[in-house]
Amino acid sequence: MSEGLHLTVATKLEELGPSTTVAFEIKIDSYFDVVRGIIDEFASKKGLACVYVTSSVPASTLTSALQSLEVNTSQLSFVDCISHTLMAAGQRSASTVLVESPTMLENIILKVEYFARINEGKRLLVVLDSVNSFALHNDIKMLTEFMTILTNSLKAKEAYTVLLALPEQMRPEVKEAMAMVSDVIIPLS
Amino acid sequence: MAKKGERGRCVTGVEGLDNILGGGIPTSSIVLVAGACGTGKTSLGLEFLVRGVMAGEPGLLITTVEGPDKLLSNVPRFILSGSDLDEAAIKKLVAALAKQIAAHRIKRLVIDTIDTVLTEIKDDALDALLLGELSEVLFKNECTALLVSSSEKCERIEGRVADGIVMMGNLERKGDLLRTMQVVKMKGTSHSRSKYVVDLTDAGVLVTPLLKGGL
Repeated sequence: MSEGLHLTVATKLEELGPSTTVAFEIKIDSYFDVVRGIIDEFASKKGLACVYVTSSVPASTLTSALQSLEVNTSQLSFVDCISHTLMAAGQRSASTVLVESPTMLENIILKVEYFARINEGKRLLVVLDSVNSFALHNDIKMLTEFMTILTNSLKAKEAYTVLLALPEQMRPEVKEAMAMVSDVIIPLS
Repeated sequence: MAKKGERGRCVTGVEGLDNILGGGIPTSSIVLVAGACGTGKTSLGLEFLVRGVMAGEPGLLITTVEGPDKLLSNVPRFILSGSDLDEAAIKKLVAALAKQIAAHRIKRLVIDTIDTVLTEIKDDALDALLLGELSEVLFKNECTALLVSSSEKCERIEGRVADGIVMMGNLERKGDLLRTMQVVKMKGTSHSRSKYVVDLTDAGVLVTPLLKGGL
């Protein structure tokens, strides 16, 4: 785990400001440090409503892991696109909504919109975890269109949008799509 | 604000639908909301009424399928069933409805479903009479109506007479079932005819464009 990476992440987000789409290129061993930086060091401290779209790890697993790291999850909502696909018992709660599959991209946009509505008046931070995982499940053209619509609609809401990506496992066309929708790509090591 | 000679808009309050329609349904229109079961027709109708009430526009729900306690409490209700409707019965029905609309200054009307009413009428000419008389009442009272129908085609009289048609549907894509909405026709306004995906949530009916994947 890199020392102080969570602080670097928060600083970068602070510098970039709202209405920005930032792609963080991360290494798998720094994953939780980066997530901690986004949620704890940045979103919580700024009082943002954080919507975490997960397509790789079920929301319940992520919540447990974050809580064990003493990350404040009280302002965190999940769009869980993987529990159904894994046939895991996804837990429905006020802060977690399930989407049947990471291929139901329109429904993911609508669930993010849902959290935007119920958090009306609060500024949003939306995390898409991860571009790699979405690319595994979707055709690249669909994925590009999805990311374009999602990031543009979030920009209009003056939200912060964060895309997480593992560059070492990324196909060139996916990287290209990510670059197209991002205002800035920040490699974090 | 409407320009001179232009009809005002009934802002449905369903944000995505209002965007598709360029600001809402032209006032006093009859809009057929058609589609198979489970596609969100009733939810759309209810939100149309609730958003209206929130904006100070009284609404009337005529439910012919489910009891109001199951849908909403405190909404006036007509029960339409029983004998065949002939010309006299239709006129009486529309007159009663007109009285309610005028008395309560109703600006939004939902009939869920119109199928139940029309199946009681055995003649196409009488169907047209009912819809024509209803249209006049709505126009006089600046009231906008959604007629909910389970028909997946709009070839019947209500489809031909309606000012607007919103088709609700299911779209299967690689095993995923998406709820869709498409405005097929809407007189008095230019509108998108594309297909949109909808989600029924406790924050309302949400709408987003159907992804085409560059096709």
